[in-house]
Amino acid sequence: MMRRAAPFLACLGLLVIWQLASLALNSDSFPTALEAIRAIPTILGDKDSLVNFGASLRRMAIGFAVAVAVSMPLGLLMGRSRVVASFFNPLLMVVYPVPKAALMPIIMLWLGVGDLAKTLVIFLGVSLPVIYHSFEGAKAVEEKMLWSGAAMGLSAAQRMVRIVLPAALPEILTGCRTGLVLALITMITSEMIARQSGAGNILFNALDMGQYDTVFAMIIIVGAMGICLDALFERMRARLVRWSEPQFDIPLSFS
Amino acid sequence: MNTRAVASDLLLGLIPIALLVAVWQALVSFGYAPVTLLPPPGRVLARMIEQLETITFQEAIAATLFRLFAGFSIAVVLGVVVGLAAAVNPSINAVVRPIVRVLAPLPKVALYPALLLLVGFGHESKILLVTFDALFPILLSTYYGASTVEQKLIWSAMAAGTPPRQILFKVVLPAASPSILTGCRISLVISCIVVFLAEMITSTDGLGHVLVAAARTFQAVDMFVPLITISLLGLILNGLLELLRTYLLRGFPEA
Repeated sequence: MMRRAAPFLACLGLLVIWQLASLALNSDSFPTALEAIRAIPTILGDKDSLVNFGASLRRMAIGFAVAVAVSMPLGLLMGRSRVVASFFNPLLMVVYPVPKAALMPIIMLWLGVGDLAKTLVIFLGVSLPVIYHSFEGAKAVEEKMLWSGAAMGLSAAQRMVRIVLPAALPEILTGCRTGLVLALITMITSEMIARQSGAGNILFNALDMGQYDTVFAMIIIVGAMGICLDALFERMRARLVRWSEPQFDIPLSFS
Repeated sequence: MNTRAVASDLLLGLIPIALLVAVWQALVSFGYAPVTLLPPPGRVLARMIEQLETITFQEAIAATLFRLFAGFSIAVVLGVVVGLAAAVNPSINAVVRPIVRVLAPLPKVALYPALLLLVGFGHESKILLVTFDALFPILLSTYYGASTVEQKLIWSAMAAGTPPRQILFKVVLPAASPSILTGCRISLVISCIVVFLAEMITSTDGLGHVLVAAARTFQAVDMFVPLITISLLGLILNGLLELLRTYLLRGFPEA
């Protein structure tokens, strides 16, 4: 009971600290927590902003799904074959510290400000952690299981699907969880750079126009989105890999 | 692995990078992409060398590095202290754990507008954003490393008469250091990415600003230069951290 309530208590505590801090500072640009919460229903009730949220979530879902579909097989192959691994590793190492959302201005030059550019950026952001974790997971599969599989007459492709994939699944899902947080971050940043539609667009336009309670309300909404998506994913993960203990029970978020 | 295998692995790894550059060059040479949108790699490189010699660009790099290091150092100190405290003391753990659970999956970029409004457009808001993003991987890996220290080590230290306070610094901290350094490595790359993004959103200097300024005037060549620079910086810093890691962990069996 206490364990389940703890995150809610933490949220409540943070909001109380916020309320007290804003009362103490008493500045125009820092509304109190209550004012920000009061602004949420107006945002959620507005049809335009709901359309924006929908567009954001759609891009995020497509980018995330395509990234997982491409990166997972690649990571698994890299983990099982040394040639594939040494083929891709240096490239991935070079690409790793590139801020993916910062590619947005360049991609915008080629593909315009539409959905395609933003989805591509989300795809790029999600794929690296998924590749990395699938790679690590596949590398750690016990050789003996593969040998037994081969002895029982499984082909290489069958071994991949029936032995490597399930064995690496906990690690892969850790990667997906990191990817999910990343997808949200890249989504917001890409929309901030290409202000055309989406949640990031509302947030940063409100900032520019000085609607500070909208800014803080949006921060709450986006934060709640992150926490809810993460909790949902955690539920799913717990069902899929009930047999394995999670190493970290909190995702490592990247930008 | 012998040196020949390493050499052939390295060659194999260079293929995709060379291929990428070749495709890039081919796209321009055969006229599939106009030079204004996709400048040839040679021109980008020449421009980069030219830029590296100018004072303004060096100042931009210096500003970015300052913010990066300031934010990262605060995150390391805070992360290690809080992580250790949470691992050692159950009541601190009970408070820190739910808060981290709520804050870790939050997209930190969304907090940036709030930071802007609170501490202004100067260095502070960017440093704080870097700190927020870099903090959690370090905190979690410290916590994880410190809470998996072998109990026997602590018992032997106690049997040898070490006071409890010193056990923390002489046993727990060294034993957790491989894990802490892994967290630092993740955080370092995140810091690179985040500082760049923050500078893109609002700034008058730094590498991110160089990119935005180039994007506003559609100077495609100048857009590639800061992106490549930040990636190189990331790679160099990563390499330096790796050196530090091998030095610090020289007594460990496998690091």
